[in-house]
Amino acid sequence: MAISVAARLAARRALEPLPLLEGDQDDGTLNKTLLGYVWRRPGKGWLLLVGLGLTGTALLTVAVVITVAKGIGMWGNNIPVAWAFGIINFVWWIGIGHAGTLISAILLLFQQKWRTSINRFAEAMTLFAVLQAALFPVLHTGRPWFAIYWLFPYPSTNRIWPQFKSPLMWDVFAVSTYFITSLLFWYLGLIPDLAALRDSSSKRWMRRVYGIMSFGWRGSARHWHHYKIAYLLLAGLATPLVLSVHTIVSYDFAVSIVPGWHETIFPPYFVAGAVFSGFAMVMTLMVPARRFLRLKHVVTPRHLEAMCKIMLTTSLIVGYGYLMEHFISWYSGNAADFYQYANRRGILHGPFKSAAQDPYIPIFWLMVFCNVVVPSIFWTKWGRTNVYVMWFASILINVGMWCERFVIVVISLHRDYLPSSWTIYKPTWVDLSLLFGTICFFSTLFLLFLKFLPAVAVQEVKELRHELDTEHERHELPEFSQEAIHPMELEVGEEDEQEEKLR
Amino acid sequence: MPSLKLPIVQAHGDERAQWRSLEERRRGIAAEGEFPPGAAEVGTTSRREFVQLLGATVAFAGTAGCFKIPGEQILPYTRQPEEIVPGRPLHYATSMTLGGRATGLLVTAHEGRPTKVEGNPEHPSSLGATGLFEQASILQLYDPNRAAVLQQNGRPRSWREFLAVQHDRALALRRKDGGAGLRFLLEPGTSPLVADLRARIRTLFPNARFRSYSAVSNDGVARGAQLAFGTVLDTQFDLSKARVIACLEADPLHPWPGSIPAMRAWADKREPGPEMNRLYAVECALSVTGMNSDHRLRIRPSQLAPIALALAAKVGSGQGLLAPLTPVAAKVRLDEKQQRFVDVLAADLRAAGRAGVVIAGPRTSPLVQALAHAINTALASEAARHRKSALHDPDDGAAGLRELATEIRSGTVDTLVVTAVNPVHTAPYDLNLATAFDAVPNSIYRGLYEDETSKRCAWFVPATHPLEEWGDARAHDGTVTFVQPLLQPLLNGITEAQILSAFLGEGDKSPYAMLREYWRSARNDADAAWEKWISDGFIAGTATAPESPQVRMEAVAAAALAARFEVPAGALELNVVPDYRLYDGRFANDVWLQETPDPVTKLTWGNAALMSPATARQLGVDTRDVIDIGLHGPPVHAPVLVIPGHADGAVTVSLGYGRGGAEQNAGGIGFDVAPLRRVDAPWGGSGLTVTKLGRRQPLAITQEHWSMEARDPALDMDLHDFEGRGRERIEDARAPVATMHTPWDYSKVQYKWGMAIDLSRCTGCSACMVACQSENNIPVVGKGNVEKSREMHWLRLDRYFSGSEDDPRAIAQPMLCVHCETAPCEYVCPVNATVHSDEGLNEMVYNRCIGTRYCSNNCPYKVRRFNYFNYTYDVTDLEKLRMNPDVTVRSRGVMEKCTYCVQRIERARIDSRVQERPIAEKEVQTACQQACPSRAIVFGNLHDKQHEVTKKHADERHYYVLNDLGTRPRTAYLARVRNPNPKLT
Amino acid sequence: MSALFKPWTNTAFRLVLFGLALLFAGGLIAGPMIYVRSPLYTQQQDPIDQPVQFDHRHHVGDEGIDCRYCHASVEKSNFAGIPSTAVCLNCHSQIWNKSPKLAPVRESFFSDRPIVWNKVNKLPHFVYFNHSIHVKQGVGCVTCHGRIDQMAQVEKWAPLTMGWCLDCHRNPERYLRPREEVTSMTFTPGGEKEQLALGERLKEEYRVATRQSCTTCHR
Repeated sequence: MAISVAARLAARRALEPLPLLEGDQDDGTLNKTLLGYVWRRPGKGWLLLVGLGLTGTALLTVAVVITVAKGIGMWGNNIPVAWAFGIINFVWWIGIGHAGTLISAILLLFQQKWRTSINRFAEAMTLFAVLQAALFPVLHTGRPWFAIYWLFPYPSTNRIWPQFKSPLMWDVFAVSTYFITSLLFWYLGLIPDLAALRDSSSKRWMRRVYGIMSFGWRGSARHWHHYKIAYLLLAGLATPLVLSVHTIVSYDFAVSIVPGWHETIFPPYFVAGAVFSGFAMVMTLMVPARRFLRLKHVVTPRHLEAMCKIMLTTSLIVGYGYLMEHFISWYSGNAADFYQYANRRGILHGPFKSAAQDPYIPIFWLMVFCNVVVPSIFWTKWGRTNVYVMWFASILINVGMWCERFVIVVISLHRDYLPSSWTIYKPTWVDLSLLFGTICFFSTLFLLFLKFLPAVAVQEVKELRHELDTEHERHELPEFSQEAIHPMELEVGEEDEQEEKLR
Repeated sequence: MPSLKLPIVQAHGDERAQWRSLEERRRGIAAEGEFPPGAAEVGTTSRREFVQLLGATVAFAGTAGCFKIPGEQILPYTRQPEEIVPGRPLHYATSMTLGGRATGLLVTAHEGRPTKVEGNPEHPSSLGATGLFEQASILQLYDPNRAAVLQQNGRPRSWREFLAVQHDRALALRRKDGGAGLRFLLEPGTSPLVADLRARIRTLFPNARFRSYSAVSNDGVARGAQLAFGTVLDTQFDLSKARVIACLEADPLHPWPGSIPAMRAWADKREPGPEMNRLYAVECALSVTGMNSDHRLRIRPSQLAPIALALAAKVGSGQGLLAPLTPVAAKVRLDEKQQRFVDVLAADLRAAGRAGVVIAGPRTSPLVQALAHAINTALASEAARHRKSALHDPDDGAAGLRELATEIRSGTVDTLVVTAVNPVHTAPYDLNLATAFDAVPNSIYRGLYEDETSKRCAWFVPATHPLEEWGDARAHDGTVTFVQPLLQPLLNGITEAQILSAFLGEGDKSPYAMLREYWRSARNDADAAWEKWISDGFIAGTATAPESPQVRMEAVAAAALAARFEVPAGALELNVVPDYRLYDGRFANDVWLQETPDPVTKLTWGNAALMSPATARQLGVDTRDVIDIGLHGPPVHAPVLVIPGHADGAVTVSLGYGRGGAEQNAGGIGFDVAPLRRVDAPWGGSGLTVTKLGRRQPLAITQEHWSMEARDPALDMDLHDFEGRGRERIEDARAPVATMHTPWDYSKVQYKWGMAIDLSRCTGCSACMVACQSENNIPVVGKGNVEKSREMHWLRLDRYFSGSEDDPRAIAQPMLCVHCETAPCEYVCPVNATVHSDEGLNEMVYNRCIGTRYCSNNCPYKVRRFNYFNYTYDVTDLEKLRMNPDVTVRSRGVMEKCTYCVQRIERARIDSRVQERPIAEKEVQTACQQACPSRAIVFGNLHDKQHEVTKKHADERHYYVLNDLGTRPRTAYLARVRNPNPKLT
Repeated sequence: MSALFKPWTNTAFRLVLFGLALLFAGGLIAGPMIYVRSPLYTQQQDPIDQPVQFDHRHHVGDEGIDCRYCHASVEKSNFAGIPSTAVCLNCHSQIWNKSPKLAPVRESFFSDRPIVWNKVNKLPHFVYFNHSIHVKQGVGCVTCHGRIDQMAQVEKWAPLTMGWCLDCHRNPERYLRPREEVTSMTFTPGGEKEQLALGERLKEEYRVATRQSCTTCHR
């Protein structure tokens, strides 16, 4: 039998429960609301935050200078824990840097309408996160001044090449490629908006500046044609990177033989974790931003909910990863491996009691709480729609993902093969200021971005609105489509009936 | 700080260059030497410095790599000594004396500067090996803290002035009363030359008196012999003749002066089989010997005498020489465990007969010594060798000091000459020696450092280091041994002989002249044989003839009867021991020894109050808690270190710490135990009071984890087990593991280097660690960095405990790079800084390393070490003379590890190829192998079927550590097999 | 309102972009790579002043004194050896013993203070080069030090880069010569082909096994 209208309604609702744009918008209103704040004088709050950010950045500089000048000894690292905060922060930031490309590229290819309002935002976030990450690979080496040029393959007078078997070598390429691609992608997307800024700016010198930045964009059909192609191509190019970068980062560990690193599950589990933390970070930034920049009408609960769903999914994958690790460690019957995970859990028995006092056990359980328990709140509609809930959750998830990297890097190393070398790692003030400093540096960059560039891809939003309108006019959508009526107007009972019918 | 500029040192641009590293040039940062080697706080940044750093970082970023090669000079000789070929080291025979016992050495010199100490293979008490002290002495030679100025009450004086003043004064004393006011307090010595000088001084000053003193004294042995034989004899033990060995608080398996031959002989009889010897240890604190014993009985010090008595009675069992002891032994009450141990041991000794021996340590009471002598005589033990003691004053303990102190207080002493090492610090507190010395009008102290004693003496004379002086001494068996200088005294040192000759009014006579004259007068073949003696380093066949004295049983029995054994129940006992690393504190400024972990506790940079887990629980303290310990005197603050295997109800502390001298590195390290020692009880006693202070203190321990966690890196099994299931364990641990790598093909190359380490022979004494440090210019990182576990030792000794906490089974395992054929470190290095050589070495290229530290993470043996700081940037010019020019000094940010002493391989390779011959079997020895007293380490060419290493690699005990990882190590370990007594297991 | 940019700005803009690209490629990559290969960096061909105006042209070229007379340890040691002052005076106590040019030498001899020569061929301090083995295997002095007999003031002749060393270690036959010809300044087997033939032969004869393991030079 033919599916009833009501059934279609139900199906449609299930798919698009909330509007993508709220209120009746036209290009003018969008320009005003989305570009307007760029012209506004910076507010006190903004200045205060930037001030704090810069202070933190200064601390970062201090930490970096001391590290370079005095040596890695200024960190808490030792033997066997030769990698610690440096690598943890690197992996954490690079992971956070994943949401951007994912949203802009993959969702574009899948034609997810809801991506438009948040992609610019996410891309910028990515860029700044990768910038933080890029700080560490060189900084954590003992002799950065050599690392800078010995890591690159070029015919040197020594007649030696780098060692391409080493995952660290792959890292160099993966990360730099990722950074460049994201940069291009982000900037390409910016061009039309920069042009819009140029046109709407009052001062001539500003017009010139934005003019140069927008590469003389005039919005002609030809421009748009090329633009679209380029954008799509870059999207296609960026898509594999989302997977490749963190896969290769995971190889840094998986390729080694350290118990707790040497695992085939790492690539998928790292990529999922990366997307997880990436979305969490977008969420953390987006929720306040959309409030203070008055973007509620373009960044609607619909977007937030979609992100929550993705976080929920990825958290499940990550949780599965944890489970597998521990299962395999028992299943493999390898003493070192078993000990490794038993020691993380702090649940030991038999000859292994000795490690029951391992000081890092709480960090493991905090990780499990933040990355597995907390996100499960997104199973509930309430959790997915309440901004406060999702904001706090996203922060906890970021913490959790940092802990995950700590667990992998430090806990694995400090209990490796020969018990004679086992020891404890304690971070120094330099370690801590590196972590805190990068966070501040990141926020500073982000605040500047929010102030001087359109945080939302205006032209894409306009386009979206246009699409929706045309769809509407051509009656491609039934009159009860998401733009026409607000689903909240339907009462629950009716919905249930439709469900009945469906079955 | 004195810095030395001999033309000879700089004679050689190339060589001189080599002990510098490229990065030293970048020392712009932190140029002022903020942290001395071994300072606790390496790597703190002052605000002032920080400003410099900012600039420096810019420099780093900018000028990395593209700098001009700076100019260098070459300073040739004006007249080149014909024996010196710049770039080729020379070797000289000499010796070093400790506790009056000389160990023959072969010292390597580059362009006239000694750089490495090895044992003299011909010398009876070295046999080619060396202990920690000999190895580390080279660092002491170049110690910038060494005293350089002769002083009178702090005012610089010349040697001539000293001679003049002392000579007049001495004449006056002599005229007055034949030198009744003249006293000498000498370091225990056996030097024939000094003996002669003493005799001549006595004839000039009939009323002068000589005494010797050392904190690690020999007087117990002397008294014991006196009691047993009625005459003072010195006893050595030839363990090659022993099948059952019982050690009563004795530690023959650590290279104390003169005990290297014992270690070698013991190790030679550890091959599994019927001939294998069996070692019993009865002791309070777990010692190196205890770690290697087949059976160990842990007892409080006060229980030793009763056990010795019971043992003697049991061995005698009513008849023969020991019969008189049976009634006396009746009063001894032993608990069931001790009784069983004694019964089994006695039975085993009786069964062994002439192949049985009991060794009583030098710290034990005369009675115990005498009982040991009695047992050995009853058994007609072939292992015990009695000789007339070669020491000038065998009674060199604190008792002598007490007499001296009373004499001083009675005001009879006018001139006191002290060459004993730092008595003011080491003397028991109840003597209050410091104030006594203050009372001496004319006190003279000769020492390497301006220490506690020099502060109390009017005159201070800087001493020569053994490598700077002409002299002689006797080996443990009495063999005459020569001391030959390798260089002029760096810091105006004066020898002991010179000081003594000052009182003979012989004016300024050179030590060489003295030595030469004495021997010319002493032996008529001197002129003919002199060259040979000096180049050999000793006179062959001058060992003292062994004697076979009678035991005065009735005296021993009487002493046993008189002895009172009962101790107040539950009273805590103190056990004082000489330190494994600092001896009596004379090596406290030697940072190599400070940073070498104690063989048993793995503690560096300090001492601690050792106690058993049970005792710690009972006192409610734990490792790192600070406690107050007192014994009839002012209490001392000590951090607790809980160590399995220690006797319950006792606390062990070691000598040599808590120094207050001018030594930069020794100051503030550990605590001084002098307040716990008394003249009549120098090695402790009962009634120790302990109070917990509620503070904690960091301890620089290099190994926190005791258990092997079921990974069995060090295989350790009993003989019967080895013949049974144990063999399977070994075979599993060497079973080939599948690999995806295509194995390297070594068939084309001439050499295939490999190493074998025999855990049955290794006692864990740690001499190899210091040898490695000396050979490979390994930096010292300081207390703070050891606490952060950043020590740099390429070769470490892992120590594992298994079994019960109270009576654990301990094993030491030397762990160094095993040069895997499929090395995990190699493929993870992004810049090819660690690669595989065609001969199978796992090479580390410092100058290519950028310090990602990934190789260390991926090394399952954790033998790679990282320069977290530039540990060598503030090395003084004087210390630079010590560096081995054949090994690059690593800069900061660089990974390093054992290279199988590749510099020795390459030298041998080039020499052999220039002479167009293959490398000979013994031509390449690694530093650790060469130093090892028990020959546990073997290195060589695995292609050579006749080579010892190849045989060991085929031995039925050989296995590979962490074999199942498939790393295919080139270093094979030989499982340790113990020989316990079935009746006790 | 007037146009924001004049037409020519397009060209300017493109040029700037192109320039930036060029600057990056040239300045950061090609430039340094050329620099480290140039004498500017390797310090080849710049004569080094010495305390004594010692002229190899005269001693080697005219007098034909063998290199080993002064650089005596070249066959025994890693270090070729700089002659001690006494060696100079072996001859110059007789001839030119009044020459002011030799004043520093006499001064050094009588005051027993070394003459401070300036190093010409500097290797990094982590490089362990050994003269004796190279001489033994038939590597001529000229091969690395150039025509000393034609240098008024000795200068660095070879770049002494690692690549340059490996060049010979990878195919020694291109450079080997008979042992007796090692110190000859003028020896030549003839052309390229002869050299290869000779090299191959000597490689067999001297059992030359050049090594390329890192620890051969870096320890």
